[in-house]
Amino acid sequence: MNRVLVTIGVWLCIGLHYAGAQDSCNITVECRVVETHNLQPLFAVSVYIDEMKREFETDEDGRFQIANACAGTYHIHFHAAGYEHLVKEVKLEANAILRFSLAHINKELDEVVVADERTKIIIQSKSSMKRADITANSGKTLGDMLQGVNGVSVLSNGATIAKPVIHGLYGNRIIILNNGIRQEDQQWGGEHAPNIDPFLANNITVLKGASGVRYGTDAIGGVVLVEPSAVRTMQGWGGEVNLAGFSNNRMGVASAVVEHGFKYIKGLGVRLQGTFKQGGNYRIPGYWAANTGTEENNYSATVAYKRAHFGAEVFYSHFNTQLGVYRGAHTGNQADLMAAIDSDTPRIHTGFTYSIDRPMQQVQHDLLKLKLNTDNRAGAFSLVYAYQHNYRQEYDVIRSNSDKAQLNLTLNTQTMNLNFDHKAIGDFTGQAGIDGVYQENFMQDGDRLFIPNYRSPGVAVYIIERYRFRKLTLEAGLRYDYRHYEVYNPEGNNQTIVRYDFDYSNASGTIGLRHKVKPNWEWTVTLANAWRAPQANELFSAGLHHGSARIELGDKNLQPEKAYSLNFETAYNVPEKLHVELSLYTQYINDFIYLSPGADVLTIRGYFKSFNYKQTNAWLNGADASVKYNITKPLEAHLKASFLFARDIKQNDWLILMPADRISAGVKYTFNISKTFREVFAGIDGRYILRQWRIPANFDMVDYPRPPADYIVLDAEAGTTIILNGHPVYFSVTVMNALNKQYRDYLDAFRYFINQPGTNVVLRLRVPFNFYGLISKN
Amino acid sequence: MKNNMMKYALIAAIATVFFIACKKDEVITPTPVEQELITTLRLTVTNNEGFNKTFIYKVENGFGSTTQGIVTKDDIVLASDKQYDVEVQLLNEKKTPSEDITEEVKAESNDHLFLFQSVPAAGSGSITFNEGNKDGNGNAFNQKIKFKAGGAGTGAVTITLKHEPTDKAAATPDAAGGETDVEAVFNVKLQ
Repeated sequence: MNRVLVTIGVWLCIGLHYAGAQDSCNITVECRVVETHNLQPLFAVSVYIDEMKREFETDEDGRFQIANACAGTYHIHFHAAGYEHLVKEVKLEANAILRFSLAHINKELDEVVVADERTKIIIQSKSSMKRADITANSGKTLGDMLQGVNGVSVLSNGATIAKPVIHGLYGNRIIILNNGIRQEDQQWGGEHAPNIDPFLANNITVLKGASGVRYGTDAIGGVVLVEPSAVRTMQGWGGEVNLAGFSNNRMGVASAVVEHGFKYIKGLGVRLQGTFKQGGNYRIPGYWAANTGTEENNYSATVAYKRAHFGAEVFYSHFNTQLGVYRGAHTGNQADLMAAIDSDTPRIHTGFTYSIDRPMQQVQHDLLKLKLNTDNRAGAFSLVYAYQHNYRQEYDVIRSNSDKAQLNLTLNTQTMNLNFDHKAIGDFTGQAGIDGVYQENFMQDGDRLFIPNYRSPGVAVYIIERYRFRKLTLEAGLRYDYRHYEVYNPEGNNQTIVRYDFDYSNASGTIGLRHKVKPNWEWTVTLANAWRAPQANELFSAGLHHGSARIELGDKNLQPEKAYSLNFETAYNVPEKLHVELSLYTQYINDFIYLSPGADVLTIRGYFKSFNYKQTNAWLNGADASVKYNITKPLEAHLKASFLFARDIKQNDWLILMPADRISAGVKYTFNISKTFREVFAGIDGRYILRQWRIPANFDMVDYPRPPADYIVLDAEAGTTIILNGHPVYFSVTVMNALNKQYRDYLDAFRYFINQPGTNVVLRLRVPFNFYGLISKN
Repeated sequence: MKNNMMKYALIAAIATVFFIACKKDEVITPTPVEQELITTLRLTVTNNEGFNKTFIYKVENGFGSTTQGIVTKDDIVLASDKQYDVEVQLLNEKKTPSEDITEEVKAESNDHLFLFQSVPAAGSGSITFNEGNKDGNGNAFNQKIKFKAGGAGTGAVTITLKHEPTDKAAATPDAAGGETDVEAVFNVKLQ
């Protein structure tokens, strides 16, 4: 208790004197965290530095690095499951190597934090976006933001609807974990983007390759983890305001977060967050894209309570978006579609407007999460319950003057997880748990048919163990999933409801090996599998896809997809000089579900192409590489490349709609002008996307026109961090598509009709605030 | 610690009950409604010599069905070299009684356009179209039109209804832009 008071006292002093404490800001500190008694390195310790407002995490060797630190005094917090919460005051003057030790809890302490470590124990090919990367991209959708991650591309509908694609797989073949909860929104098609506010994220991690053991069904292509920072429970106020303005569609984005740690109820903290976004029609070179406005209102609240051996958290978030769909993409029949594709200029001429008309989507997503955790000598337990409500309304172009939506789809999901992290037994650490899910999907009376109503309970058990032997870490896991679907499908001329029951179950496994050859060189090999049950639209869809003027027909006899992936990754790092990463992967997907062209179907609007859901075996091979090199200390050059070869094994042909190979390169100059103007930067980036020539032989029967030409797009950026009253204020200017290049992208559904957006100038401002001492006048 | 475990177990139990208690029975799919469905295009053809016939083009089911249902395609049988008055009607015969959509389209004549195309365009087996009625702005609407039959022979007529056409003066569906609501192809016999 006394120690806490002292610590708070120290914060007070630092808070007041912090601004004057720095001279040079190029100190690098190598840190290592070990167990007090046996001096074993501690892995996945989360580290927080008050003064920098930055988070770190130790690697398997217990190490983390603080780069570009200014001289001064810092307070470093260490949190790890089952260990005491340590706060250290550290004075930095020059480069240093520091060692910290944490003791296992064996008596009641005043403050202990048991963090959610489930996502941290992982041997897997992965890339992440840190706080700084997220800030530099603020205002973008989650999908767009992730484009910066090597191996990730984006499936889009113009500039406002974007879905992440990991190693060629997207939609229901990847999972997004929002604040530890698997996002259950309606991903029925390419025009259904994930309903997540990226301003919630402090860290976004992309796991590449099958990850079924940890994340359950559907994690075939990979997982995106959107993680907020831990809620402040330290006494005082903190938060930040983010503003961004986009010139192209005159979009404004504002987001704010306020946090408070209570004084009289120790360990209680609260965080409120909100985002507002509004943009109008976006501009392609020479034209406005009709009806492409966007609006978003999101808010969230978190209450966290942390005590010795006990923690509780309640999180609620609401996401609400309204998205216009390009008017020219809505066609009546095949002839209309062809005429729109073949037109050189957009067929609908329009000016700028913020108003959104039909066709449009309105989507709401609510998430309520309750979490309890506790720990004792045996290890740490956590129980998480979540309720998600997703409500999607789609407004078609109609004849009458109705303001009703033609689709009103609800997806309600409840999930529960009980997880136990056992204390190290010799060199073994690990966890085991149970997952439960109950999901209901229903449409409203009066809707047109899109997805039949269904309900689906599921349960899974898993265990993951990890063994450390010197520089080697071996991880192995097993999981067993069972999922039941009860579907009520309207059929035949009279649309009689027929009930179907499906039972799917499967085992998943993973084996990972990491070898840390030297502190700066490591490699990882992962062999894993995952599976996915066919989803309702693949089983039952029977209707027109408005954008593509084609009829899709489901197949009730589809079998689950099973994926096996082998990933090899190596990283080599010379601090402040060189960072190289290479990742090679191969993935075999048994019973890969895809759309195959079928017979023409007659309708009152003429004949339509029909497509049937079929299964084949797919084999995906690829590589991602990235190099960062500091030519001189302030001048950094970077190069990234991604290649993918996606084959249909049964047809011995290429798979359709796979991302083209891409290379991006850039330079960035970063320097400090003064104590006030730090990390001033200017940079330029170019990305070269090749034409996708790996297309199936029957491409012309399936799609038209052929994939668009290769293109180069240039972006430029400049910015700085200004220290105002001790707070780092971030400001930047970014110019996207600086040369107003006309181009189309193969994975953009609007490629048939219009070019990608033209030049977009973006201003970004981030103002953090943090008050430790205001309450402590006594 | 034991206390802790008890507390934990209790919370888990409560959560489980909550979890299961939320089951509802509202998942049975309601009968889907194909909105603004048009099943039938009906031509009423008359002339001053007492000719009075209707020709039907019908596809029973809309887009939300795996089957197209009953398809009816009448042949347009007319006397060669004669002129006829033609009125186009649109129906939704999925409803009972059937719904006449013509009035709705007429009320929004500014946003709609009927287009007629004959193959062959001239000579025997052809029909030429003229004197189509106008919309509220005086632009083409063509819900009522005159058919002038060519010489004896066979051919085909395509009737297209466009919603929100970008060019109301256009003669072909491609040039008219907008979205196709109906595309009916009749075989023609002129005798």
